[in-house]
Amino acid sequence: MDLKKILRKIDEFKIITMPAVIVVFLLFVSMLVFYFISSYPAIERYGIDLFIKNVWIAAEEASKEVYGLAAPIWGSIYTAVIAVLFALPISIAYAIYVNDYAPKPLKYPLIVISDIMAGLPTIIYGIWGALILVPILRDYIMKYLYEYFSFIPLFDYPPLTGFCYLSAGILLGIMVIPFASAIIREAYAMIPTVYKEGLYALGATRYEATKVLLGYIKPAILSGFILAFGRALGETVAVSLVIGNAFNLTYKLFAPGYTISSLIANQFGNAAIYKYMTSALYAGGLVLFLIGLVVNLIGLYYLRRWRAHVSH
Amino acid sequence: MFHIDYKKLRMLKDKIFVFTIAALTFLAILPLFHIILSIFLKGAPVIAERGLPFLTETFSNGGIGPAIVGTIILTITATAIGVPLAFLAGAYAYEFPDSFIGRATKVLLQIMLEFPTILVGTFIAGVVVFPMGTYSALAGALALAIILMPYVAVYTEEAMSEVPKIYKEGGYALGCTRAQVIFKIIVRMAKAGILTGVLIGMAKVAGETAPLLYTAGGLYESYPKSLFEPIGALPLLIYNLVQSPSPEDHRMAWGAALVMLILFLALFVPIRYLLKKDTVKL
Repeated sequence: MDLKKILRKIDEFKIITMPAVIVVFLLFVSMLVFYFISSYPAIERYGIDLFIKNVWIAAEEASKEVYGLAAPIWGSIYTAVIAVLFALPISIAYAIYVNDYAPKPLKYPLIVISDIMAGLPTIIYGIWGALILVPILRDYIMKYLYEYFSFIPLFDYPPLTGFCYLSAGILLGIMVIPFASAIIREAYAMIPTVYKEGLYALGATRYEATKVLLGYIKPAILSGFILAFGRALGETVAVSLVIGNAFNLTYKLFAPGYTISSLIANQFGNAAIYKYMTSALYAGGLVLFLIGLVVNLIGLYYLRRWRAHVSH
Repeated sequence: MFHIDYKKLRMLKDKIFVFTIAALTFLAILPLFHIILSIFLKGAPVIAERGLPFLTETFSNGGIGPAIVGTIILTITATAIGVPLAFLAGAYAYEFPDSFIGRATKVLLQIMLEFPTILVGTFIAGVVVFPMGTYSALAGALALAIILMPYVAVYTEEAMSEVPKIYKEGGYALGCTRAQVIFKIIVRMAKAGILTGVLIGMAKVAGETAPLLYTAGGLYESYPKSLFEPIGALPLLIYNLVQSPSPEDHRMAWGAALVMLILFLALFVPIRYLLKKDTVKL
């Protein structure tokens, strides 16, 4: 009899699901530990220089190898910032238009189109970016800016190939627009209708009403862009096809560069020949891991707080 | 004194505003049409010229057959590994939304959704490929499974949360255990949403390149025979071909990209239309 009682106490549901939860946690923790352990040899050898110097000397002899990840770390952040700045006005406009002003028959197709863009394989963006977008940007935008505005230091790098920070930033921007606008659109739709009705009752024009409503969803817009920034940081193949892949620590928009993920994509294959390169690349991965973790946690936290705030 | 007609000014501002956001919206979706158009224009002649063998032949015979088969094998294997785990983790997060572990699981899944995919690839390369000494289909599928899991789990959790509480209460009132209530009642009611999550996860991983770079290896001259040998994949093939300087390789890449685009649209658009929801997680 007692045995039956004990058996009833045991929750089968927990027994079935707990292992899966443990596996997911273990996976994440082991990834973090793995990146720490794998990058340790390079961190021990080069110290803080690994993250703040811009050198990349691969040598057969281990004693001559020197690695510094400053350029790729800068490149990752710089391209993601360009992407977010590019995506900012467009995705806000998209969210407002789809929610409030798009004609009824256009509304749903617009949403589906944006979702298709969000789900489109990145390699499709990559091939289009490398073979179509980059030549267009180079011939119609960069050459013009270089010719007439090269007194501004931002534009004074000759755009020879077109593979550069700006191309990567714009391609990334195109890729994160649907993602950022989905978050903003969701938030915008959650605004209680009484606010809208009140504004129109006061005689506000659509422009004035939208301005006020945008103020209401500011935290959601912020979290949308933080999450989009995180996504742009981690993007690999599309970026590595358009960024030019060169160690260049510069703010000049038309200079070729590297991001952490494109560096890994490019160098990981032959890194095993060298003693410290694999480890240096894992250190880059660790940086990306930690930045991504912090950025996403902040973004998710804001979004969650905002949702809780609205539903009350 | 000047007389300014404020009302006219405000109406003008209003018109300009609506026009501007409509134009920016158009700008936001323009790339998709440009992408589809240019891939069709560049890819269709390649496929038309080579005909059916483009889809079945090996690479040196001018086809991408092994890559297509590779993508299918990788996607199915990844689904088989990832879905059960993700489903159970999602069910846990649904059932215990307020406990510490339940909350942590949900946050973790959301972080994994945003996780840079290249890092999953290099992680699997370190723990599976290096010890095994060779690239393999299994390693590629494991990497893809890790990427697939959060999609399935998050969709499972959300689909289950949408089932009205009253069914759960009814189940308990009939004397069901927790496992019975969730697996026999809630899951059945949420199965459409769960299935959508599985399909979106599959569509997503079928198009992934970065996690396969250093796990799957690539195999384009023969069809894959074993899970423990290198395998090719469509996105991986396109990535390698675009990086090559030869125009002939670029032509192949366009052809392969067209095949991939058609497969993606054929899979994704119906799923998206079936899901009568305004917001989806991608």
